[in-house]
Amino acid sequence: MVKIKLDLEKAALIVFFAVFLFIGPGALFDHRIKHDFPYAYFSSDSFQHQTRAEAIKDAGNFRYEAPYIIKGFKDAVGIYPPAIYHLAAVLSYSAGIEVYDSIYFLVVFFAIIASCIMYLIIRNFNKTVALLSLPMSLLILSSPPATGFLWGHWPSVLSQSFLIFFFWSIIRIDLDKSWIIIAVAMSAVFLTHTSEAIFAILFLAMFFGAKLIGKSLSKQDIRGIALSFGAFFALSFYYIVIFLNTWAKAQPFSFAVEPVWNGNPGFYIAGFGLLLIPIVFGLIFSLPKLKEAHVSVILAFAMLIAGLLNYIGFGLRSFQIRFFWPIYLSVLFGFGVYIIGKPIIKKWNFAYSSFVFIVLIAAFSGFMKLPVLKQTDVQAIPYIPQVSIAANSGIMDPFHWEALNWLADNSEDNATMYFFYGDIYSQDALLRNAKRVHYQVDPGDFINSIQERKIKKVYITELPGDTGGTISHRVSFFKFEDYAGTVPVEFHFGPKDICGFGYYVFDKVSRQEALAQYNLLIAQELLKKEYINPVFENQVVAILRNNNVGGDCIEERIF
Amino acid sequence: MSGGIALKKESFDILKKELMYALFLFLIALVIFKIAFFNENLVVLLRNVLSLFWLFVIPGYFIMLYWQEKLDFIERFFAGIILSAAVIGISSYYFGLIGLNIKYHAVFMPLLMIAVGITLNLMKRY
Repeated sequence: MVKIKLDLEKAALIVFFAVFLFIGPGALFDHRIKHDFPYAYFSSDSFQHQTRAEAIKDAGNFRYEAPYIIKGFKDAVGIYPPAIYHLAAVLSYSAGIEVYDSIYFLVVFFAIIASCIMYLIIRNFNKTVALLSLPMSLLILSSPPATGFLWGHWPSVLSQSFLIFFFWSIIRIDLDKSWIIIAVAMSAVFLTHTSEAIFAILFLAMFFGAKLIGKSLSKQDIRGIALSFGAFFALSFYYIVIFLNTWAKAQPFSFAVEPVWNGNPGFYIAGFGLLLIPIVFGLIFSLPKLKEAHVSVILAFAMLIAGLLNYIGFGLRSFQIRFFWPIYLSVLFGFGVYIIGKPIIKKWNFAYSSFVFIVLIAAFSGFMKLPVLKQTDVQAIPYIPQVSIAANSGIMDPFHWEALNWLADNSEDNATMYFFYGDIYSQDALLRNAKRVHYQVDPGDFINSIQERKIKKVYITELPGDTGGTISHRVSFFKFEDYAGTVPVEFHFGPKDICGFGYYVFDKVSRQEALAQYNLLIAQELLKKEYINPVFENQVVAILRNNNVGGDCIEERIF
Repeated sequence: MSGGIALKKESFDILKKELMYALFLFLIALVIFKIAFFNENLVVLLRNVLSLFWLFVIPGYFIMLYWQEKLDFIERFFAGIILSAAVIGISSYYFGLIGLNIKYHAVFMPLLMIAVGITLNLMKRY
């Protein structure tokens, strides 16, 4: 019989894991694993990743990008870092859940695991500091860092979980065959979201720089890291070739000063509020420790700098790093709390650490309410950030989901579909769930047409699709050709005859009633042709099928 | 020869003890998942937790066993989980490219990692 001893450290980790799971994915997903439609998706990017993972699951691999994701181009190489999509598909098969649930779950789940790994890293520095630091990781669920989850920066978030694993592997550089772990960690970072690999290099440069200054750099370290890089290149070579020929050419680095993340709720250092006091204490008192080259301290400094590289051109990538600042900088916070508390409590022991740990968890998770203090939606204690995500179904609803699935299941593989106005269609990646090449009316032209009281045959139309990097065809192993550059601008956006489409999708309800009424007016006009029939309808969406694509499908008139 | 047998028995005892820890953690995980996802039915939760253990915890444990003398159980446990995820994320991509459909990866890859972990460990000891 194996006896399991009560170990307070492990108990603290279990409590932390349970609280994190409850207030994180638990709250976010309405305390369910399975949902009837993509739940708590708040941006187009979330659907972008979900549909790509779904397409990979359908295809069985990620050799090519699905044509319906990239404007109908066929045989275009899959250029996105693949790891997150493959993990989502594998978990979907294994757990028997839909890809839209598995991809979101794993991103949040591994952020929790990464927090625990960070604890292990800091524990290697000081066990008390580690325990005091751990609760601050909860603040990745505060506003605005939670944007990383809610707005679909999932590859970056997952890559940063692997980045923390990479930091851990560097702590263990002295282990026999540690180069294998370092290489796998580095490769996982690169194959999940490439830019985080650059920040890993920044950390390594600081780490070895500190070792060099501290005269603790050994031949074994250099040999270990050289072996790791060799193995990393071998593991990642196939994707490195794709990356260098696509992303690196389409979005090269350029210097820019971008103090504010326009259009996004960026996280700024002042967002830590009063927590900055212990963080600054920790920062000051850990400066002398830099020479000792402890990973936990160096990573905090490296990631603080990485998050500020928006001032030299890293823009979005630096702002994404800030999603995990509550984890990276937690060592400074924990160290600061310890430094501040030490003169007050002479004999600091595990009981004191546990007490502070529990108080901090209660404060950061929002469980601690102090009615005498002025409270807001995001802070129960003024100037102390707290977890602020709650169940909300997000953009998608069961009716649109039913319609999109109907199109995916019932339309011909080569069918083209036209989406008239819908409130949620501005987040256009969700339309990829129709799994067919799709077009949508330009809302500006749509509103103009209402104002001019016209029913038209030709509307300004957008061909939505993934244009983040490039749409490339792989001619040979090292040669790629850009597809997107071979077509005129009107291919992507311009006037289109709606009669050239096989399916029409109309929203019957809208926050602005006039838009839905105009949708229905067009639908009624189309239905005057005997070859156009209603094929699907629910409370929100109606779909018509055009059996004479290219015919004279609608009478232009004034209403 | 007798030293080898003693080592083998010692390894087996450690393995047995730590797999009991893993089983204990599985039960704790199931309880925690039931609390965090209280609106979900138990069968879905059970399959989900089993999947997490099958894909990440168990393969990670067997690979990290190689460093068992240097790292304590809790460190190998957490590092193993994320190491497994890293290996699956990377190798699933390549296995897919060489023609092994992704639908087989959930079964095949953990088995492969467990086998690699056991082999590495045996090679190290004997």
